[in-house]
Amino acid sequence: MTASAAVLLAALIVAAASLARARSGIGSVRGPGYAAARGSESAGVRYAFTSAFLPWAKESAGGHLPTYLAGIVYHAGLFAMLARLVVTLLPVSVPRVLDLALAPLLGVALACGLGLLAKRLTTPTLRALSQPDDVVANLLVDLALASAAGAALSPGVSPAFQLAGALLLVYAPLGKLRHMVFLVTSRRLWGQYYGRRGVRG
Amino acid sequence: MTAPALGVLAGLDPRVAASLESCVRCNLCAESCHVFLEDGDPASAPAAKVDRVARLYRRYRTWSGRVVPWLTGARDLTPGILEDLKEAAFGRCTMCGRCTLNCAVGLDPAAVIGLARAMLVAAGKVPAGIQANVAAALETGNSMRIPPEEVRETLAWLEQDLRESTGDPTVSLPVDRPGRRVLYALNPREIKFFPLSIQAAGLLFHAAHESWTLTSTDFDITNYAYFACDRGAQAAISRKLLERAEALGVERLVVAECGHGYRSLRWEAPEVLGRRLPFEIVSFVELLDEYVAGGRVTLDAARNRERVTLHDPCNLVRNGGVIEPQRRVLRRAAWDFVEMTPNREHAYCCGGGGGLLAASEYAARRVAAGRLKAEQIRRTGAKVVVTPCHNCIDQLLELNKHYDLGVEIRTLAEVAADALIPPNHAG
Repeated sequence: MTASAAVLLAALIVAAASLARARSGIGSVRGPGYAAARGSESAGVRYAFTSAFLPWAKESAGGHLPTYLAGIVYHAGLFAMLARLVVTLLPVSVPRVLDLALAPLLGVALACGLGLLAKRLTTPTLRALSQPDDVVANLLVDLALASAAGAALSPGVSPAFQLAGALLLVYAPLGKLRHMVFLVTSRRLWGQYYGRRGVRG
Repeated sequence: MTAPALGVLAGLDPRVAASLESCVRCNLCAESCHVFLEDGDPASAPAAKVDRVARLYRRYRTWSGRVVPWLTGARDLTPGILEDLKEAAFGRCTMCGRCTLNCAVGLDPAAVIGLARAMLVAAGKVPAGIQANVAAALETGNSMRIPPEEVRETLAWLEQDLRESTGDPTVSLPVDRPGRRVLYALNPREIKFFPLSIQAAGLLFHAAHESWTLTSTDFDITNYAYFACDRGAQAAISRKLLERAEALGVERLVVAECGHGYRSLRWEAPEVLGRRLPFEIVSFVELLDEYVAGGRVTLDAARNRERVTLHDPCNLVRNGGVIEPQRRVLRRAAWDFVEMTPNREHAYCCGGGGGLLAASEYAARRVAAGRLKAEQIRRTGAKVVVTPCHNCIDQLLELNKHYDLGVEIRTLAEVAADALIPPNHAG
């Protein structure tokens, strides 16, 4: 194992343990409630994780289409980057063609990330809401995306990609990136709420 | 003052914690809030209101918030911050949940505001008007301190009046009758200020040959502790009516037209009391829909010729799931029924929800935030606005006057009663 891979592995373990601890720290959510259901919780949850992502499903998405789509692409690139990052630790070789196909997605995701950061810094209402964490988190993801794209095009950049990924992972439990584990819970609860009451799903 | 509030933060509901951890401050929810749309103040955006609570959460519940608070904006709870929290949670939010429905991430800003309010309860910072209603309900069984004798006298007078106006001596407003199928529970404002809605419901029950009763004690469906997010008092207030329903041995508790009353009894009471109830809880709106659909009540839309529109109470519709029954009834009861845009679960709050009508310190902002609803109403060209919620009625009456809308504000029962074909004439 190379030094950068060892650093990445250590960061991955630290991040996973910290995020798991943070998630368990809020406690478990009680099951079905006492009030008789009008609709189906499971249908609501299915809706939350499928159709509710469509741009026209929510006013906040449809009314801010460029931002919403940029966010979707940014996250798609992020997931792809994280998957590729983990693969660098495994004893498998990724076909070159796959890396070459991944590079444009990572590049577009990077552009989206930078665009979202620019919007945050230049829109007064958004800037007023922002904390240093918003900038740091965005830049760390952007750095990882950029190095991932570089590594996809040139395998020699792979150690830098691993170190950038390690940095991102170590930072993840400290700020807003924690939403990666809590979002699933919130979205499930959102679906359960509206599903149970017969409003959605 | 801050220690009790921090205690609430320490015993946080995991659902709310998940929301606090999930907000990425994207602010895409801003335009879903009627308060923000009206005043354009960044502090009114749901994300900004959530952030006030989230910064406290980070400070006291996360490692980074304790060690490097500047990174995430974590901050200490001080008396000044508590005042700011009160202004945000009570003064800039009706907890209508429109931001929750529209949150791109899928978190629940309304529940976060609920946490803020619970912290303010612990700190003794609830607006005096809301707290006075809570105290009245706990002490007397209803938020307007109406004694049982006055309830019985008012209902007797209403019954007499109903018999005279209909010419039907068999119409009745039965009170405190055990063993009936239905208990019809009221908003105390109906007894004091809106007796016509009680008479309208009475006529419809009579037409449907329903086995029903009212109660002179613990009749109150309103729950200001629910607005305040004072879970202990909320449970105590709900328990009074639910125990009364159990004592009367009814099969169904029918909640008069009141959005938060319905939500707090139908959806929240079983949760805060931690038990299933031995009877069904339905809104009068749902019951009326059953009557009309089942042919127990016959309506003639030609009796209501003026254009009618419908305001959707947030707690009944978006948060209660009663979406279509009132529409089915209105299509049968009104000749020219038109929808506002947007409607149903997407409807804007009238501005009077969340207990704001009882918080006089925010009255000017409440009326200003209702401009959106006033414009919606004006665009329909309707002469009558129906809303199955007495809280919304109070706000709409004020908007009607303030924005010179020239409309009549009515309950669904009142419009349906006007369209009612008396049983001996039907079919």
